[in-house]
Amino acid sequence: MEQVLEKMFFIECLGEPLEFVSGPEVVAHLTFEGDPSGALTLRVTAGAARSVAADFLGAEESDLSEQQIGDVVSELANMICGSVLSRVESSTTFRLAAPRIVPSESEAGHFPGWAPEPGGSPPSDAGGRSSTVHAVMIGSGRMVVSIDTETPAWSTAARSAF
Amino acid sequence: MAYRVLIVDDSPAMRSFVRRVMLLSGFELSTCFEASNGQEGLDLLRQEWVDAILTDINMPVVDGEEFLRRLAADEVLRSIPVIVISTDATRNRIERLLSLGARGYITKPFLPEALRAELETTLGVPCE
Repeated sequence: MEQVLEKMFFIECLGEPLEFVSGPEVVAHLTFEGDPSGALTLRVTAGAARSVAADFLGAEESDLSEQQIGDVVSELANMICGSVLSRVESSTTFRLAAPRIVPSESEAGHFPGWAPEPGGSPPSDAGGRSSTVHAVMIGSGRMVVSIDTETPAWSTAARSAF
Repeated sequence: MAYRVLIVDDSPAMRSFVRRVMLLSGFELSTCFEASNGQEGLDLLRQEWVDAILTDINMPVVDGEEFLRRLAADEVLRSIPVIVISTDATRNRIERLLSLGARGYITKPFLPEALRAELETTLGVPCE
C-alpha cells in the first residue's frame, strides 16, 4: 500500500495510526474473482481523500468536485487491490470488478475488528471467512484497507503483501 | 519529434494522471487523445492517427483484451504499438496480453520515468 501511495500519489505514509480518528470518510468498495474471491474496502478520511486527489490530479484541493475525489479514491482502491493480489497470486489470474463509492455508514464500510496495532490487525477468522485490515496515517488523515476472503489461510499472505 | 498518444481507461482520474505523468516525465507529447473503453478507442482511431496507445485491461463495453484482438484484426491499426497499463502483475496475464499483440506492459504503481522509458523503447526513440 505504501508503494502505491508513494509512486502514484506522491504521498509519504506516516506510519500506523496510534488512535482511532473519527470523522467523515470516503469509502470505496470492490469485489475480485480469483483464487480465492473476495472484496476490498478502502476508507479514507474526507480531508485526506481531498489531499490525495489533489496530488494525483495535480490540482488545487479547493477546485476538486466530490466526483473527482470519488474517482481518485476508487482508482486508489483498484491499485491497492491489484498490487496485493499480484503479490499473493503471482501465477494465477484474477479479475477486479469496477470500484464503487459507498456511503461511509454502510455495512461495507464497517471494520468492527479493527484496532490500532503494529503491522495492522491480525487476520481474523469468522465463519470460514477471513478479514485482513491495514491502516496508515497520510498527511491530514487516515486510510484503512480491509480485504475479506472466504479462505482463512490466505489472509496471512495478504497481510504480508501490504 | 513529438508524439500523438491515445489513453484508453474507464477511470477519468487515471486518464488525467497518465497524461500528467507523460508531461512531467519529459516525454515529447504533441497531442493526447482519451477514450473510456476499447470501443471508444477504436471509434477515435478511425478518425485520428496516433503513434502509441496506452490501455487499461478492465473496462466496460470492450475491455483491454478484446481491444487488442480488434486492433490486431485491423490491417491499418495493427501497426500502432500498444502498451498495457494495469495493476495485474501476474505472469499469466502479462504473457496473454503480450501474445495478443501488446508491445509493452507497465504495472501500477509505476514511476513517471518508467512510463517514459517504456514509451520511448516502444516507439524506438533514440537514447539521448
